[in-house]
Amino acid sequence: MPIITCSGVSKTYRGNARLVHALDDISFSAEPNEFVTFVGPSGCGKSTLLKIVGGLLDRSAGDVTVKGEPVLGPRRDIGLMFQTAVLFDWRTALENVLLPVEVLRLDATAYRPRAQDILKMVGLEGFEASYPNQLSGGMQQRVSLSRALVYEPDVLLMDEPFGALDEFTRERLNLEIQRIWMERRKTVLFVTHNISEAVFLSDQILVMTPRPGRVARIVRVSFPRPREIRLMKTPEFASLVFEIREILGVA
Amino acid sequence: MAIASGAHEETAAAARVGAEEPATRGWRRFARPELLFSVGFLVVALAGWETLSRLEVVHEIILPAPSQILEAIWTVVTLENFTRELGTTLLEVFVGFLLAVVLGVGIGILTGTFELFRKSIYPYIVAFQVIPKVVFAPIFLAWFGFGIESKIVMAAVIAFFPCLINTAVGLRATAEDEVMLMRSYVATRGQIFLKLTLPKALPFIFAGVKTAFTFALIGAIVAEFVGTYHGLGLLIQTFTFALQMDLVFAVIFIISATGIILYAVLDYLDRKIVFWRRGEDGL
Repeated sequence: MPIITCSGVSKTYRGNARLVHALDDISFSAEPNEFVTFVGPSGCGKSTLLKIVGGLLDRSAGDVTVKGEPVLGPRRDIGLMFQTAVLFDWRTALENVLLPVEVLRLDATAYRPRAQDILKMVGLEGFEASYPNQLSGGMQQRVSLSRALVYEPDVLLMDEPFGALDEFTRERLNLEIQRIWMERRKTVLFVTHNISEAVFLSDQILVMTPRPGRVARIVRVSFPRPREIRLMKTPEFASLVFEIREILGVA
Repeated sequence: MAIASGAHEETAAAARVGAEEPATRGWRRFARPELLFSVGFLVVALAGWETLSRLEVVHEIILPAPSQILEAIWTVVTLENFTRELGTTLLEVFVGFLLAVVLGVGIGILTGTFELFRKSIYPYIVAFQVIPKVVFAPIFLAWFGFGIESKIVMAAVIAFFPCLINTAVGLRATAEDEVMLMRSYVATRGQIFLKLTLPKALPFIFAGVKTAFTFALIGAIVAEFVGTYHGLGLLIQTFTFALQMDLVFAVIFIISATGIILYAVLDYLDRKIVFWRRGEDGL
């Protein structure tokens, strides 16, 4: 029973006196605890699709359901992570992590130890009282990740979360994401333009092409888990990456 | 393990870089070149001024010597009505300033919250800002008399605009991402305002408040020039008419010193309350 279903989703908007077809007839489904990635070049609408699933953007056509219920707006069982950490400069790391708890009016005292545990799990023990301008980009994204996890949403939407980081930090965080995802068992929708990252992390890849944004192919990835960096050296991995490149027309 | 220690590697590198920064504790922080040059420059300038005055290159009515001004300061401060004049001006500045902050920030919040208000009324306010408000001093004198009321109104009117405009601008400083983040937690408009918009606007608001203070001081003094029973502006006028320029400079010095001290207090509050602002002045 899929936890996310998307059927016939389209998005058109008016930009500069011209009609922009951002998405055209997108359909897919995600099983519980599946790691799904949208991969494609800039302008293929993958971020738009993510925001539509998250209830932050209206769609022009089609249906989206999460946990069986149609998505009518933002929901507390859907968590988000952006390309930039989007932390509040006037809050410490811990206070930033507790932001959703405050807004959702949950019991802050109960969630505080959980927030501290999550920060420890992502490797930020000792930095709970640091302010964002004292943290590096990778550390800020870890805080952002902790914030997305603290209120236990069932679905995690991640929009190119490591796109602004250097390759080594990105790889480290990919391993981190995999570890956390295996521990906490969530459904993840991940957006990236990095094909290796997509193949490394996912169970299912939606390869998208731009203008208008369409799903060209759905690729299943069945390498066993936990996956390690050396998987990227294997011929199977490389050929899968190339298969996707061919679909995108950049082989 | 390699993953968890990543964060510590990053801060260890940062600590090594930090070790090269100048000292910030103890007496050593005063030994920086820029501070020494600054003090040295002041000493040289004062000495040069004193010399030129002693040599009568500059007539003492045009510009008295620093030593004369120093004496004059003592004379002024020990005048029997000095406390009253100083107190009057300070009261005018404070009350005008507070009025300006409350009204300016308040209307600024209205402007930021209600689209209709912003588009309809705000343009008039911005247009009004171009007028040098001190031209209204004689009008306020006619309306409110020679007492402190006309000075308070003048101070408030000038100081109002930076508060209003900075608040309005600051409230629009939120980025789309941040609002989207709050919306994803199903935040109410009130929550978005209190937890995001307002703190984000605080650096702007405070900058406006600090400017407003200097304007309030200007407004009060100028209004006193136009007509008053009491105040430091009155002293300047009286001494000027008597051509006692050393006393005039003394009062100017006192006003400046008062302004600097009070501004420094505001600045301290600014840095404490808006602690996350990046240092733009290189601090």
